[in-house]
Amino acid sequence: MHPSDEPTDDALVSATCAGDEAAFAQLFERHRRRVARTAARFFSRPEQIEEIVQESFTKAYFALPNFAGAHTASFAAWLAQITVNACYDELRRAQRRPERQLDELNEAETHALTTQLRAAAARPDVESALIARDLAGKLLARLSAEDRLVLTLLDAEGLSVAEIAKLTGWSTPKVKVRAYRARAHLRRVLRKYV
Amino acid sequence: MFGTRKQQAQDERLDRVGQALVRAGAENEEAFETAAASPFLYTRLRARIAAAERAQQTGADEGWLALLTVARRAVPAMTALAALVFTLMVWLASGNAPAATGFGDEAYYGSEAGVEQVVLADTQNLSRDEVLSLVVERGEQGRR
Repeated sequence: MHPSDEPTDDALVSATCAGDEAAFAQLFERHRRRVARTAARFFSRPEQIEEIVQESFTKAYFALPNFAGAHTASFAAWLAQITVNACYDELRRAQRRPERQLDELNEAETHALTTQLRAAAARPDVESALIARDLAGKLLARLSAEDRLVLTLLDAEGLSVAEIAKLTGWSTPKVKVRAYRARAHLRRVLRKYV
Repeated sequence: MFGTRKQQAQDERLDRVGQALVRAGAENEEAFETAAASPFLYTRLRARIAAAERAQQTGADEGWLALLTVARRAVPAMTALAALVFTLMVWLASGNAPAATGFGDEAYYGSEAGVEQVVLADTQNLSRDEVLSLVVERGEQGRR
């Protein structure tokens, strides 16, 4: 099928609202990778990412009539908002769970992380430094859900403050203040290692 | 000033390390590929949506049932209360109710003619009647 022959997202949304299950399946296939990509910025286990994908599409399915009626944003942008909010909710839930102790660094990990971070700090091109992903994840788990969300969207996704405000529904000053505080907090955490 | 500049440079360095750390923590390519290519993901999603729809339906049904249960308990109680209020109104209107006791305001202020002026301010004080009877008594004694 030629790309131009494919139905638009809006057409698929309308068809889904009219009860066409195949249209929803098509929407899912079209956007599942994008949603999974966003979730993978925050979570490192495949089952966590799958959970976010399912949660986001379930929320989107039940909110489709609202989108079809009033939203001016594209379906992809609307779905991205839902996904980011689902990630934020999951980050907050994860912080309350007792198994969070698994995120604690043991002695060997602390030593490895200290070595990597000191090496990174000593390099003129810090950006290209190699930091083990799992160790970085454990260190980032010490940040609050809000700090983690803002820093990931800023530094990993490369979004602007305005884009983050649109995605999260927060005001622009709140995003700026949150980013400032998150950087200060991360600095305090890093000082112990570097 | 030198200390501030040094601190600023250190903060900037830590910020760059922090950015590298955040990027490293967000590089979950393998997990992303595994999750995105997961088989039956749509089937599981449909099952989840169906379960959520069922839960919504059950919640709605339970809501109606709860409302009916409350109504079943509330209706007799409200009927009994209404009957009591009605009976009380009829009884009061029939004139069987005892007269109001105590003094009216006019008894205290003495503005109305024909109302006995009695003020029970203190049991030790003499009433106007007592004062009057004393005056009359003394007048009679004087005349004698």
